[in-house]
Amino acid sequence: MSGTLTAKTPGAEFLESLKSDFANYLAQAGDTNFVNQRKQAFDLFLNQGLPTPAHEEWKYTNLRKAYEANLATTCLQEEGIADLLASSVLNGLDAYKLVFVNGCFQPQLSALPQAGDLVLLPLSEARKQNAATFDAHFGKYIPLEGYSLNALNTALMSDGAFVQIKKNKKADKPVILFQISDSSLVNAFSQPRNLVIVEEGADLHLIESFLSNGNGTSFTNAVTEVMVDKNAHLEHYKLQRQSDTTYLNHFTQIHQEADTSINHVTLTLSGNMVRNNLHFYMNGRNCNSLLYGLYITDGNEFVDNHTRVDHAMPDCFSDEKYKGILKDQSTAVFNGKIMVHLDAQKTNAYQRNQNILLSKDAVVNTKPQLEIFADDVKCTHGATIGQLDEEPLFYLRSRGIPENEARKLLLNAFADDIAEKIRIPELVQVLEDEIARKIS
Amino acid sequence: MLKINNLHAEIEGKKILNGINLEVKPGEVHAIMGPNGAGKSTLSSVLAGRADYTVTEGSVELDGKDLLEMAPEDRAREGVFLAFQYPVEIPGVSNTNFLKTAVNEKRKYQGLEPMEATDFLKLMREKMELVEMDKSLTSRSLNEGFSGGEKKRNEIFQMAMLEPRLGILDETDSGLDIDALRLVSNGVNKLRSDKNAFIVITHYQRLLDYIVPDFVHVLYKGRIVKSGDANLAKELEEKGYDWIKAEVAASI
Repeated sequence: MSGTLTAKTPGAEFLESLKSDFANYLAQAGDTNFVNQRKQAFDLFLNQGLPTPAHEEWKYTNLRKAYEANLATTCLQEEGIADLLASSVLNGLDAYKLVFVNGCFQPQLSALPQAGDLVLLPLSEARKQNAATFDAHFGKYIPLEGYSLNALNTALMSDGAFVQIKKNKKADKPVILFQISDSSLVNAFSQPRNLVIVEEGADLHLIESFLSNGNGTSFTNAVTEVMVDKNAHLEHYKLQRQSDTTYLNHFTQIHQEADTSINHVTLTLSGNMVRNNLHFYMNGRNCNSLLYGLYITDGNEFVDNHTRVDHAMPDCFSDEKYKGILKDQSTAVFNGKIMVHLDAQKTNAYQRNQNILLSKDAVVNTKPQLEIFADDVKCTHGATIGQLDEEPLFYLRSRGIPENEARKLLLNAFADDIAEKIRIPELVQVLEDEIARKIS
Repeated sequence: MLKINNLHAEIEGKKILNGINLEVKPGEVHAIMGPNGAGKSTLSSVLAGRADYTVTEGSVELDGKDLLEMAPEDRAREGVFLAFQYPVEIPGVSNTNFLKTAVNEKRKYQGLEPMEATDFLKLMREKMELVEMDKSLTSRSLNEGFSGGEKKRNEIFQMAMLEPRLGILDETDSGLDIDALRLVSNGVNKLRSDKNAFIVITHYQRLLDYIVPDFVHVLYKGRIVKSGDANLAKELEEKGYDWIKAEVAASI
């Protein structure tokens, strides 16, 4: 395959730079289990390569421009991050915060709890201070086979958050993880890695916020690994509001033991290209999983949500609803897979994807998938793509509400249905305002 | 107030209205009756401005203004109110928020300031009492999960809030039990004045026992073929529509 006429593999230079980064890492790393884990991950990454549309799971989502953006991994940042945080919709919320810029921890911007039932640390610190817990859970739940960017993240991760709530305890405030990509000085590549442990009977509200700063290109490859032990509860919200020069890939794995309940909401309000993978694995009976998503896109924005819910054990319930409003030339992808394993009798699983197109140039690719190996289950799925219904529109207009106002009312109602799944009332209001701004 | 002159309308190429003439003056209640398929609901849809219908001939004036030229929202703000036969459920839009928007849009159209929140709530309370509307319904999403009777009562409540010049009730009695029918009719009767008018579209005479009309018109094959007073409705109740059909056939 040599010779000047051969087309260059997409991301070839990026790949070379990753290899050299990893060689540099190995040169100064010791010979620990952790290092070996990362070596194996890097080998897996190299075997699989960077994802391209040739891969079925990446059919519509092409990160090539991110790979070829001459990216640098750096903690360098411009000033102005504090202002960015102050303007965030989350700013008014009383919460513990961990702030990362290009994957590097920013202690001066963070707000940590007193030592106690809630442990909140940069992952790099937790690996030293909480070695036993770290080793017991790190990398245990996410798949690397078939997910080369997970393997890459494992091998060459930046820093990230370690969140642990102790047995039968409830965090007194929500925890916010801010991941900010800053491309004001260079085109930035970062790989945040978070590990969240909700111990038996514990209760946690966790918000992950993705923001950006600067006009250069940024590529964020983030992984969040969550372990929810027996009888625990997790509220997990993801807010994505980045600029039109960003690429974001975020893989989230939520591992559930018996009798756990999870309420998850993903809101994607802006960003040039966003790919979310959200995977639930129900490893015990009586799990309850709610997963909701909303994407509102305009311009050339591209949002891809891949979800997977593994009903591995009997008597579990999952309800999934993703909604999208698309304007201009924007594109959305939804791929939702529900796997009901052989043993997962008495499963109840529901999935819907509903899209409203406000422009003839907007595109939605949706693929609901149901794979059922048990025989005593209740499952439904469905997807809709269309315009606003005429009948409600006429009804509102017949009461004297002008057409554009009537449209706004209906679109806000459509979107607020998802925002209202967030169980922090003061946050719902600011998000609904934010949604209204994007819609209008 | 309302002048319908030689109105012809069709949907998807199918002629439904074939030359309707009707004049409605302030203070009057006109009942429009007729067999299924006569064009009763088409008439109400055309007056309210539903886009599915094409007017091919004729004119409709409201207080001298060309109604057919106007968008549905402008007709509403000029004073037309259609009580739907099948009110639409709109999840996520609260009844109160919807009404506040509608009331204030009408005020804006009339060059008035938006209503103060307290005044608006007071008005809501008044009108709710007037139509005996359950308070709990107003905090819910618009018509969502309402029973048939609740939906119809909500239509009358909206009408009370918007105080139209011309109220059109499109088979408001359909699907109502006798108690709901009485409640809805009482609401309408309380709204009657010498400044407004109503067109009551119905298949049965039953509703007209409660809302007593000044005029009754029989619509058949897209035309008004017979007009009379309230007694005509009673005659139709006794004899059905066949004799009208026979009369029309004989006259051709």
